[in-house]
Amino acid sequence: MHENGYKFELEEMDLYYGDFKVLEDVNLEIKKCCITSIIGPSGCGKSSALRCLNRMNDLVDGARIEGSVVLDGEDIYDRNYSVVGLRKRVGMVFQKPNPFPKTIYDNVAFGPRLYGIRDRETLDGIVEESLKSAALFEEVKDKLRTSALALSGGQQQRLCIARVLAVQPEVILLDEPCSALDPIATQRIEDLLSDLKTRYTIVIVTHNMQQAARLSDYTAFFMIEEQGDPGKIVEYGDTNTIFTKPTDERTERYITGRFG
Amino acid sequence: MDARKADRIATAVFWAIGIIALGILAFIVIEIFARGLITAVKPSFFAGKPQALKEGGGVGPMVVSTIYLVVLTMLISFPISVGAAIYLAEFAREGRFTRFIRFCLDSLGTVPSIVFAIFGMTLFLFYLNWRTCLLAGAITMALLNLPVFLRSAEEALRQVPLTYREASMSLGADRWTTVKKIVLPTAMPGIITGTILPLGRIMGESAVVIFTVGVFVRAIPLSPFDPAAPLAGYIWYVQSEAVVPDYRTIVNGGAAILLILLFLINFGTRRLSAYYSKKKSLGG
Ligand SMILES: Nc1ncnc2c1ncn2[C@@H]1O[C@H](COP(=O)(O)OP(=O)(O)OP(=O)(O)O)[C@@H](O)[C@H]1O
Ligand SMILES: [Mg+2]
Repeated sequence: MHENGYKFELEEMDLYYGDFKVLEDVNLEIKKCCITSIIGPSGCGKSSALRCLNRMNDLVDGARIEGSVVLDGEDIYDRNYSVVGLRKRVGMVFQKPNPFPKTIYDNVAFGPRLYGIRDRETLDGIVEESLKSAALFEEVKDKLRTSALALSGGQQQRLCIARVLAVQPEVILLDEPCSALDPIATQRIEDLLSDLKTRYTIVIVTHNMQQAARLSDYTAFFMIEEQGDPGKIVEYGDTNTIFTKPTDERTERYITGRFG
Repeated sequence: MDARKADRIATAVFWAIGIIALGILAFIVIEIFARGLITAVKPSFFAGKPQALKEGGGVGPMVVSTIYLVVLTMLISFPISVGAAIYLAEFAREGRFTRFIRFCLDSLGTVPSIVFAIFGMTLFLFYLNWRTCLLAGAITMALLNLPVFLRSAEEALRQVPLTYREASMSLGADRWTTVKKIVLPTAMPGIITGTILPLGRIMGESAVVIFTVGVFVRAIPLSPFDPAAPLAGYIWYVQSEAVVPDYRTIVNGGAAILLILLFLINFGTRRLSAYYSKKKSLGG
């Protein structure tokens, strides 16, 4: 058994989209049951890095990876590694809330049904449990059979989190989950993530420095030197250290620039 | 000329075009109904037996033939077109092969229907030794409609946001499950709306009917291998042969029935599309 407290270990990972090198030499250890945030200027490859962790980059034509991405001791890019199994363990929440054009219930039940759960009562239980964990149940309990598209943006995003929770993942990846939300909805998601981190490993990409500082235990700062260069990790460590005494001056400039 | 003036002129032009289009449509509808509606609504006409020589014949078997042909063509056309659209939109990698397929489809789309009619006749009647029948017409018609229908189905599939596919795949669904459970149900209203044009074309198509299905029958066709006489072909036949003394009445009445059938199918298709929209947002 692999026990060093790390969920993911990325070693010398390079990512290419065709001939274009998007990421270079990414080394990152993501700790269990913690929130790790990924920050950096636009286009530096934050989303791409996140999508390496559940192999969503496989959907991009010509995407190719070098180096290793290890989840619980196993290389997820290994030939025999099951992508479906990986995505069950590593869920993802996207920048724009993207509930399916189905009922609230069917959205949450989508994953469990995928994995063969048909029994009505079991499904009811999972749906309720997941919505409760996503702090949405009270708001929607009387309209589970209505369209998910009628919910507000913040509710939709929590529904997307519930949809992920319903398959009982171990890791939740979030790509700027609050960028389309107002401050109150954002606050609710942040509270929710803080609650969830006791049970899940969370990796979040954010443009919001305060959010990274408030929410995360570890922070990775990505950057590109020049237009056309690959993105690299400039600094990675304890969120407190990164935000109070960063060792690299580029980190400091980025963070303070953002704080204004 | 300043922008506001240009805008006003453009608006006027577009309104004029719209009104002209509406005017022509209204003229056609009114003209056809004025001449034929009285005949069309008579049960002895729309459900009656046709006469080969005497006056007073109905078009019952022709109405059935028309509907039969439409349904049969759709049964063939829908799975093939939607299947191919799914392949092109969801699975095929853009490349030489897909470009070649598209080129063929576009070329096929510009081929006049008479060429399809001759092709169908050659294949089914001469080569396979069938007699004229509904199935021969339906297959030919399905080919004729393939380019248009496939295009519209592909368009409907491509309208489904990428984020739905991503969400589904990120939950562990494979491509096919994603298509089946998410993409296809979401695209269904659009796909169904896309059948309106092909449906209209099938009902109005006479060349294919004349060459492969038949222009006159006494009895209602039962099997797909029976000869039949869809209205568009029958109208042409009655008008051009003019054997029966009341051929004008039959042509006018037949045209009115054809128009009514078109309206009904249009209406039905829209209802079905709306039903799927509702079902989709409510799950299922
Ligand atoms: N599907 C793709 N195909 C080709 N190149 C891509 C693709 N997606 C992203 N890229 C490129 O990869 C680089 C990194 O993009 P990515 O979206 O990961 O950046 P990001 O840090 O998430 O940016 P943002 O903060 O704006 O979301 C960019 O140069 C982008 O143009
Ligand atoms: Mg991004």
